[in-house]
Amino acid sequence: MSSAQFVQYLITGITSGSIYALAGLGFTIIYAVTRIINFAQGEFVMLGGLVAFTLIHRAGIPLVPALFLSILIAAAVGAAMYLLAIRPPKKASVVSLIIITIGVAMLVRGIAGQELTKEFIRLPSFSGEQSMSFLGAHIDPQALWIIGTTVVVTIILHLFLTYTMVGKALKACAINPVASSLVGINPKTMALIAFVLAAAIGGIGGVVFAPLTLMSYQAGVMLGLKGFVAAAIGGFKSPVAAVIGGLLLGIIESFVVAANWGPFTSDYKDAIALVVLLFILLIRSGKLAEEERAG
Amino acid sequence: MIARLKSNWSYLAIATLFVFLILAPFDWFLGQYTTLMIVIGIYTIVTVGLCLLMGYTGQVSLGQAAFFGMGAYISAILSTTYGFNPWLAMLIAAVMTGAFAYIIGSPIFRLKGNYLAMATLGLGLIMWIVFKQLNQSFGEPDGISGIPYLSIGGFVFDSSFRRYFLVWAFCLVILFTSQNIIRSRTGRALRAIHGSESAAESIGINVGRFKVKILVLSAVYASLAGSLFAHHLRYIGAQPFDFLASVKLVVMAVIGGLASIWGAIFGAGTTHILSDELLLRFGDWDVVIYGLILVLVMIFMPEGLFVKLKEVFERLRLRYRKKGVEP
Amino acid sequence: MSRSVILETKGLSKAFGGLVALDKVDLSIESGKITAVIGPNGAGKTTLFNLITGVYPMSGGDIYFQGALLNKVPPHKRASLGIVRTFQHVYLFGNMNVLENVMSGRHPRSSYGFLEAALRLPKARREEEAISLNAIKYLNLVGLGTYAEHDALSLPLGQQKLLAIARALATEPRLILLDEPGAGLNTLEKRQLSDLIRNIREMGVSVILVEHDMPLVMGIAEWVIVLDSGQKIAEGTAAQVQKDPKVIAAYLGEEVEEC
Repeated sequence: MSSAQFVQYLITGITSGSIYALAGLGFTIIYAVTRIINFAQGEFVMLGGLVAFTLIHRAGIPLVPALFLSILIAAAVGAAMYLLAIRPPKKASVVSLIIITIGVAMLVRGIAGQELTKEFIRLPSFSGEQSMSFLGAHIDPQALWIIGTTVVVTIILHLFLTYTMVGKALKACAINPVASSLVGINPKTMALIAFVLAAAIGGIGGVVFAPLTLMSYQAGVMLGLKGFVAAAIGGFKSPVAAVIGGLLLGIIESFVVAANWGPFTSDYKDAIALVVLLFILLIRSGKLAEEERAG
Repeated sequence: MIARLKSNWSYLAIATLFVFLILAPFDWFLGQYTTLMIVIGIYTIVTVGLCLLMGYTGQVSLGQAAFFGMGAYISAILSTTYGFNPWLAMLIAAVMTGAFAYIIGSPIFRLKGNYLAMATLGLGLIMWIVFKQLNQSFGEPDGISGIPYLSIGGFVFDSSFRRYFLVWAFCLVILFTSQNIIRSRTGRALRAIHGSESAAESIGINVGRFKVKILVLSAVYASLAGSLFAHHLRYIGAQPFDFLASVKLVVMAVIGGLASIWGAIFGAGTTHILSDELLLRFGDWDVVIYGLILVLVMIFMPEGLFVKLKEVFERLRLRYRKKGVEP
Repeated sequence: MSRSVILETKGLSKAFGGLVALDKVDLSIESGKITAVIGPNGAGKTTLFNLITGVYPMSGGDIYFQGALLNKVPPHKRASLGIVRTFQHVYLFGNMNVLENVMSGRHPRSSYGFLEAALRLPKARREEEAISLNAIKYLNLVGLGTYAEHDALSLPLGQQKLLAIARALATEPRLILLDEPGAGLNTLEKRQLSDLIRNIREMGVSVILVEHDMPLVMGIAEWVIVLDSGQKIAEGTAAQVQKDPKVIAAYLGEEVEEC
């Protein structure tokens, strides 16, 4: 492999990895605050892309406002999901809540398919189609938007969690919900914020990803799964670790496809994420089991 | 005391079910629905395993169709390409699927937290890809055909009528076996884990290992069902074993009631009939409706529709009895 | 009577991140006696129980049970070795009735498995008989015999605690750890509890008791160990410990904080 090819694959990996990272952030935020694995996380990403497309092509809204509106709508769906489906069941077990998120995911996916569009859609690139050259490799400018956005979101999230009152309250709730409720932090409000945040971040991911690749209403399944793998690599605790996890997954995926090894041709590249997942579970089951027992 | 009363009604209910099942495939009764009922019986077998798995480990399997498909494909391949005796193939399939579940289950259940859901989701997707690959390797591009009927000696299960009894015989054996397990020391251990994992561990129950065992059990059930499925249709493609199939199985289990055994018949039956109806009337909206059903049932009746109906029935019965006693 | 030690800890420590819950604690629990572990809140008493039963991994030190090293034995195996506990929050199996809860306790003393159960083989049926009879025996021991078929959670708290003890006793332990068995009980129930604990001792089972109720403890404990902030600060007979200035200071310190 030449160095130009190496850089090419690396960039491809970092680009898709960034989307996985954003999805992974959503999983991590919701899990940390509520202990729920949100199966609809991938759908928020899908909504980002599809809603923007619908706004542009059916409502005639120009690109930039459509993008922001789309993210807002995704966040609203997240809020609605929490208020209508997660909060009401009083004594729901974790199993029930997970099944509920699966149900919501199917609902959202189905409605998107029926009401928005069934086709593969693509948003216009933000800054033109002219690919640039970097260390001998070609970069689509949209890739820079994706990577840049992910970096910015991660930094803003970190600042939010560390320096704002709401962010600190969110963190406290994640670490110890009982203690934080004793000092006046309402876990239900925190959960709502977590869902809105996760949905918004997912929506952002969808919005920047849609110009680069074709998206359909089914996109949420795989994106969600890969976001989960990213979050799992990060242990579901640290947002930064989830981002690293996502990038790692993207890079691994890219290079395994490049190596064209065995069954992992580009048709089956999705399977790579699944293998990585099973691999992580095997490793973690040895190390984590004891720590989690004590916690 | 309540347990004693309940069991009298249970015997009556089961006896009624028996009579119904035996009479059903006759033309003067429900004979035209025989094929439908065969499929419901097959799905019931998978659903019982899933109900027990989700009910007693408190985790969700989103890839049960993978085990279902493994049973079908191993049976199909061994009995067509390699000419194995179908019964032997079914046994081998069950053992292989069980072993596979054991290998995957062990690391997953050592982790605290809900890793089963995603791991099985991933497994389901991987196996679906594998099944499509097997279609190409062992059959025509889209599926494996020419699967023989099951037979005992000279008696071939070639008509729906015969297969109906075969499938439901299997189904009832599995239901009764599951009930035996739940009423036993093993069942108590499982119920203890469901009640309080800490307390269960403190009295010597190896929580992790039991969870793996029930995963293996559910996988074996699904595999047997898959084999029966293959020998019923005589042709299998990858489509009945996709992600949607796994979700449908979860809906069946949820409606039947997690941790419920006889409810599985109800869950499998209503869901399967509903899914055909939904597809007919609503086309692609059926996915949306599944989602809605899942959400609503889990919010309002997390014990399952079947169990809820039993409760309502109990309450009505008590009210009726009270009225009778009052002078 | 020769003095034998059933449980021994040497340098036992447990830290949660930076917080030290137990700091190099040395204990020697005499066999066949009722030993109480007392101390102000946060002294590390429940942590001690969790280490002995294996729920938490140790940060340092060793635990010996009947002379054998216990450190690496997984929690569920410790029950078959003869160590069992009850919980402060009871943790009954709500999905079973009273008798079935106690029958669950027979788990480590029975052996038939999946296959025998599924096929209802004679071995399974024989063992089920034995399990039932044994469970009824322990249920009668704690005085709940007539409640056998009631839902476990339908009992009032005092009786739920007795049920939990019956379940623990069904495992035929050599050592039973009672975690605040008196909490939430009225005076009559506490007296019945004391009698039950003495009965348990008469059966040859060693008892370690964590309790806050001083009259209860002083009434039945033959040996008292006092913990404070993760360290052992005193031990002796109930009378000795009550007069120990270090113990008084530790509890007074707690009272002052409450004001």
